[in-house]
Amino acid sequence: MTGDWIIAPVVLPAALAGLALLFARRNLGLARGISLAGTGALLALAIWAVATTGDPQVYRLGNWPAPFGIVLVLDGLSALMLLLTAGLALTVLVQAVTTGRDRKGPHFHALWLFQVMGLNGAFLTGDAFNLFVFFEVLLIASYGLMVHGGGAGRYRAGIAYIAVNLVGSTLFLFALATVYAVMGTLNMADLAVKLAELPPGDQALMRLAAVLLLMVFAVKGALVPLQVWLPGTYANAPGVVAALFAVMTKVGAYAAIRFGTLVFPPGNAATGNILSDLILPAAVLTMAVGGLGVLASRGVARVAGYAAIASMGTAFVAIAGFTAPGLGAALYYIAHSTFAGALLFLVSDLVTARKRGARLPGGLAALFLVAAVAVAGLPPLSGFVGKLFVMQATADHAALIWSAVLGTSFLLVLGLSRCGSRLFWKADDAPAPRLSAGELVGPLWLTATLVGMTVWAAPIRAHLDGIVAGLLNPAAIIAANTLGAVP
Amino acid sequence: MSPALIAALPFLGALLPAIAAQAGRSAAALAAGAVTLAALAGLLAHAPAVLAGGTVTAHLDWVPSLGLAASFRLDGLSLMFAGLILGIGALIILYARFYLAEDEDVGRFLSTLLMFQGAMTGVVLTDNILMLLVFWELTSLSSFLLIGWWQDRPEGRQGARMALAVTGGGGLAMIAGMMILGQIAGTYEISDIIARGAEIKASPLYLPALVLILIGAFTKSAQFPFHFWLPHAMAAPTPVSAYLHSATMVKAGLYLMARLWPALAGTPEWTAIVATAGLVTMLVGAKIAFFKDDLKALLAFSTVSHLGLITFLLGLGTKAAATAAMLHILAHASFKAALFMVAGIVDHAAHTRDIRRLGGLARAMPVTFALAAVAALSMAGIPPLNGFLSKEAMLTEAAASGLLVAALATIGAMFSVAYSLRFLAHTFLGKPRKALAHPPHDPGPGLWAAPAVLVGIVIASGLLPMATFGPFVDAAAGAVTGGPVHAHLALWHGLEPPALWLSLAAVGGGLMVLGGWPRLRALWDAAPRPEAKAMFDATLSGLVSLARMVTDALHGGGLPRALAITTAALLAGGAWAFLTGSHSPGTRAMLPLEAAPMVVWAVLMAATLAVAALHRNRLLALLLTGIVGLLLAAAFAWASAPDLALTQIAVEVVAILLMLLALNFLPRQTPVESSRLRRARDLGLAALAGLGTGALAFALMTREAAFAPISAFHWAQSKPGAGGTNAVNTIIVDFRGYDTYGEIIVLGIAALVIFALAETLLASRRATARLAALDTGGNAGDPHPVMTAIGLRFLLPMALMVGVYLFLRGHNLPGGGFVAGLVFAIALLLQYLASGYVWSSRRRRFDSHALIGAGVLVATATGAGAWVFGLPFLTSGYTYVKLPGIEKFELATAALFDLGVFFCVLGAVLLAIATLSRLAQHTPDRERRGG
Amino acid sequence: MEALFAIAIGALTFTGVYLMLRLRSFPMILGLTFISYAVNLFLFISGRLRSGAAPIVGTTDTPADPLPQALVLTAIVISFGMTAVIVMMSLGARFEGGDDRVDGGSDGPGNRPETTQ
Repeated sequence: MTGDWIIAPVVLPAALAGLALLFARRNLGLARGISLAGTGALLALAIWAVATTGDPQVYRLGNWPAPFGIVLVLDGLSALMLLLTAGLALTVLVQAVTTGRDRKGPHFHALWLFQVMGLNGAFLTGDAFNLFVFFEVLLIASYGLMVHGGGAGRYRAGIAYIAVNLVGSTLFLFALATVYAVMGTLNMADLAVKLAELPPGDQALMRLAAVLLLMVFAVKGALVPLQVWLPGTYANAPGVVAALFAVMTKVGAYAAIRFGTLVFPPGNAATGNILSDLILPAAVLTMAVGGLGVLASRGVARVAGYAAIASMGTAFVAIAGFTAPGLGAALYYIAHSTFAGALLFLVSDLVTARKRGARLPGGLAALFLVAAVAVAGLPPLSGFVGKLFVMQATADHAALIWSAVLGTSFLLVLGLSRCGSRLFWKADDAPAPRLSAGELVGPLWLTATLVGMTVWAAPIRAHLDGIVAGLLNPAAIIAANTLGAVP
Repeated sequence: MSPALIAALPFLGALLPAIAAQAGRSAAALAAGAVTLAALAGLLAHAPAVLAGGTVTAHLDWVPSLGLAASFRLDGLSLMFAGLILGIGALIILYARFYLAEDEDVGRFLSTLLMFQGAMTGVVLTDNILMLLVFWELTSLSSFLLIGWWQDRPEGRQGARMALAVTGGGGLAMIAGMMILGQIAGTYEISDIIARGAEIKASPLYLPALVLILIGAFTKSAQFPFHFWLPHAMAAPTPVSAYLHSATMVKAGLYLMARLWPALAGTPEWTAIVATAGLVTMLVGAKIAFFKDDLKALLAFSTVSHLGLITFLLGLGTKAAATAAMLHILAHASFKAALFMVAGIVDHAAHTRDIRRLGGLARAMPVTFALAAVAALSMAGIPPLNGFLSKEAMLTEAAASGLLVAALATIGAMFSVAYSLRFLAHTFLGKPRKALAHPPHDPGPGLWAAPAVLVGIVIASGLLPMATFGPFVDAAAGAVTGGPVHAHLALWHGLEPPALWLSLAAVGGGLMVLGGWPRLRALWDAAPRPEAKAMFDATLSGLVSLARMVTDALHGGGLPRALAITTAALLAGGAWAFLTGSHSPGTRAMLPLEAAPMVVWAVLMAATLAVAALHRNRLLALLLTGIVGLLLAAAFAWASAPDLALTQIAVEVVAILLMLLALNFLPRQTPVESSRLRRARDLGLAALAGLGTGALAFALMTREAAFAPISAFHWAQSKPGAGGTNAVNTIIVDFRGYDTYGEIIVLGIAALVIFALAETLLASRRATARLAALDTGGNAGDPHPVMTAIGLRFLLPMALMVGVYLFLRGHNLPGGGFVAGLVFAIALLLQYLASGYVWSSRRRRFDSHALIGAGVLVATATGAGAWVFGLPFLTSGYTYVKLPGIEKFELATAALFDLGVFFCVLGAVLLAIATLSRLAQHTPDRERRGG
Repeated sequence: MEALFAIAIGALTFTGVYLMLRLRSFPMILGLTFISYAVNLFLFISGRLRSGAAPIVGTTDTPADPLPQALVLTAIVISFGMTAVIVMMSLGARFEGGDDRVDGGSDGPGNRPETTQ
């Protein structure tokens, strides 16, 4: 059957991880080869998917028809997320290998592949319960990666990270149970069709389910007040892992976009604008909490964590309305903040790898500057363009949102300049080692990516607008599911 | 040369000095100078055409949907500013070559300077307000880097951060202003915007746009009340102060006001805000400058004052005033840059910039004195220098604006005279001080050449204004006001104009003020005055405290607070969502109460609540938890879910055993730590959560689904489609086999994580030391009595048989790979408990890692096997096989998939147990455990 | 019987949430276990209650809904894996960090929310 490659982003890393466990447990070189080759192949696949994906394509697992079996749905948005994941994963993986961070504990590469598998699975599935399963896959792999290398701080933060996410997973199940009890189905397209015909007496229950689902995604996406797990987790995770986690928060944003456009589109008869009504204020608060956190924090990893929260606030502010310009801006900003956040975490990793108090090399200061400019959304990097996109899309609520966006930028500028000047401007202590070529690979590649996103902002945005047009036409996805067709 | 290239050239060449610096300071300076002069040449090539009223444009689309374009336009105003930036830039590079010390990284310095130069050139050449913002913020950033150049000096760090906070923050406000302006005008191209001044001024959004843009301009140009950052920026090396903080960057705000003058100026709001701010700034700056003892601080406040003067002129909104503003921009840039360079020379020579320690340098440093004298007298507005021309023009405009304005302007001019003369007199005249360690002397020509050129311009433009500044001022003022301008620049306008008399008054008054210096100084010292830096610092630290408070409140309380916040948010969100929707209660008939289940229910309730009450006794709580788990299995069994019951029992046994093992390493008791209030809060949250889930469950159970559940299909297709009679199993391995695929991978990863954790933990000296010191005091007892051990060894094969049986029947009856794996694992686990880990593991000849890997691969390969037949992943096939002696049985690929499940489960559980027992190997009673 | 199940779900949630908010890792983990009991039961009842009608073809014509049962199976297994990991993590924290507190800042020692002068 044509289209089997749609499942490759899930099956390939799983199979490679299995191989790594069987044959490369004591052979780091082989494990590196497997994970690099696998992630590289995924990147190639994702590029191809982005380049060729037009109408949504549906893959029926087990050859069962929707909504009875599980389907994968590949549309523009899933392809984009696959590309983001593979691009970031490969860059950071190379960095982990060239800096030897993958040596600090066992099973790094198997966990890495499983992590990518979980992310890809979540982006591809067209089934609500299956989304839960892949959330769990990506979470449990992230638990392992987060404590890679060990240490008291990591274990403590790890407990908190797991506990909060277990609550999130439990919530997901409560929501799915409610959905199934009321709707009798789990396929997202089927839910979309049936929700339009929901009797009024069941609407309160589905509103509840919608909000519970949103909160699940809010935990992933660090939307206030469910961001509580993020700062400790990101600050304590190994730098390369935190850099990969830059795409983890985007899973929350992805799921919110998916459900907000397909299952609970704005203004639908059953749940109305319930998602927008909650996302907007929460997103504004998220920006504030992130910005204040950056200002309040000292260590660069922690600053980077709060900056990640702020960036999620900005992304969600653009998502909130589920409008074409808003979603287009959000997708651009999500891509930008993934790479910018990852860059800051890689810089943080290089800083913490050096002796505390030593005079850091100038090249590292320059990298920090680039990362800070990108994260704060200052010109000339893509953060600035992204911020303008977001502002342009939210002109209707300019007084509130623009103040929040720009106020957050201000807090970030203050916080990052404090952090940077404290780190890099100091009296002549003993100099720390200069940057090695291996340490530069990832940061330079991410910088190049950000520059590319800036220069080609217009064609990128045009492509994203195409994706958004597809999202705002859920009928296409529903049609591709061919619901109820017997094999 | 295209204006785009002129702006790009400094950026493109920014790396050159850093590279050339390998060959020494001169090479670096030559490289930077060559880049600057090339750009300047390109600019001046357009000068004739532009001075004749033409414009040169270049346009490159960037993000059309935003209105962001790399468009450039060179007209009279841009020409004047770009000329200033590049011309003075070249002089600064020359000066910096000789100013910076041998051991400084001149290459990096000049590279940063070129980046600034490019950004600044971009600001004045671009024709797109969004592009202008890009360059604008870049000037803030490069200024930040240059102010903090001497990284080991705290005042540099603080000054840099303050400058970035104020100007960068102002830039952010300006982003909003520009976006509004662009939306009003429907375009972001400056040349189009200024053509729509009337529309813009009529818009209801005019005032917000104006205010936001002015915040940007005022912060950049150090206008009151944002003036305080500029003096602190003087921590920068003197070339930077001369270039950025007097001649160019601080004029960006002025440029912007001039640039948008046709679009924004001329309204009462404009005049009220801009002229007032300018006048106040002029007075405040002039007064403070007079009392400053640091040469650079004096010059900094004088810069503030002069910037205020120009802002004031722009604020008046008349053509003549705007023309005067252009003239003063040129004049100020020339004399003030020269004065800063002089201050740097004095600093070098005397090793201090403190006026109180200087004096009488004229004899020792005649060249420097001559340069300082000309520049300072121009600043004071003494003829025949260019400062006189522009001051006269200013006073003329002030006189036309009413008595009060004229008086205030004259007072400002008076202080200007006073501080200029103080600068000159107290530094160079009077008696030489003995305190100086090194006898000062004039520097070499390298250092004084640049100020000398500027002083030459000061004199030439004063004497021959029409031949020098004239055309530039006309072209710039024409571009600002949108019509031809022919300024009549002359030293002598006759006796009529009031400006002459005001000017004389200012000079006279200034001399008197300077004469009264000691007394005024005493008054100044005695008077309380607001210290802007202290206020800024207080505001900032207030903001930081607020930030810390919020951050701490949300993230400081550890996990319990995080979970409490999460729970509260979930409850609030859920309640809000439900209560704002329409709901009709269900009508589904309930099942009648039955006696036996009610007993189970009562025990379950009692055990559940007992755990909450008695949780401090951990062992008891864990046993009660196990009981609750088993009772749940009973509930599943009652409610037609035998598979669930079986799995629940198996999982419960393994989970409780694991936790029991883990409890060996943890305290037996939980201490009482939380306050009564906190427990009440937690009880409240828990009660609400329980109420919510219970009510929701009740609501769901008592209604029918709104649509027919999809499971009807699974039931109908279980046998014909999936080849099994157990619908739950066919769903798991077939209809939703993909869920199961994810699930076993979760389990496999869990085992890997646990293994990795233990591995890392055991590699840590601190952790193993704590393990070795662990007091397991007597709780273990005799861990494996002989009878149990032998009994269990017999039990093992039987348990394994049960596992195989469960596995095989799973497709049709309750069972399956998962439960079978667990039963196997339990059997091995019991063996470990009975005989010790070492004994058991010695007899186990397979690697758990390999089991997990194999499980994942078997499941994947089974799923992918369907591809061979051209079917999607996980499509199952089955057939019936008849073997003699056994009844007909079915062979389904789903069974193979189930085998993958089995491997994964077994591997995962064994790995987890092995890990825990490895920890036990490190405790003091390891001999007994090791058996 | 529906009411009994609903009350049981509420009670399991109650104990779970209360224990989850405790200050030490062990009761916190017990709390999470209880919450997962609650949600498994909740997920199960989304197929409504039916006694004596296990969904095995040939044994009944009006079976209990098999789908939620399958979902619960998946959920049980996953929560078992998660529990095992967090138990291990708590041992890691106990031996690296010296105690089993979870309220000492989710960040570990010396890493409390920063202060700046």
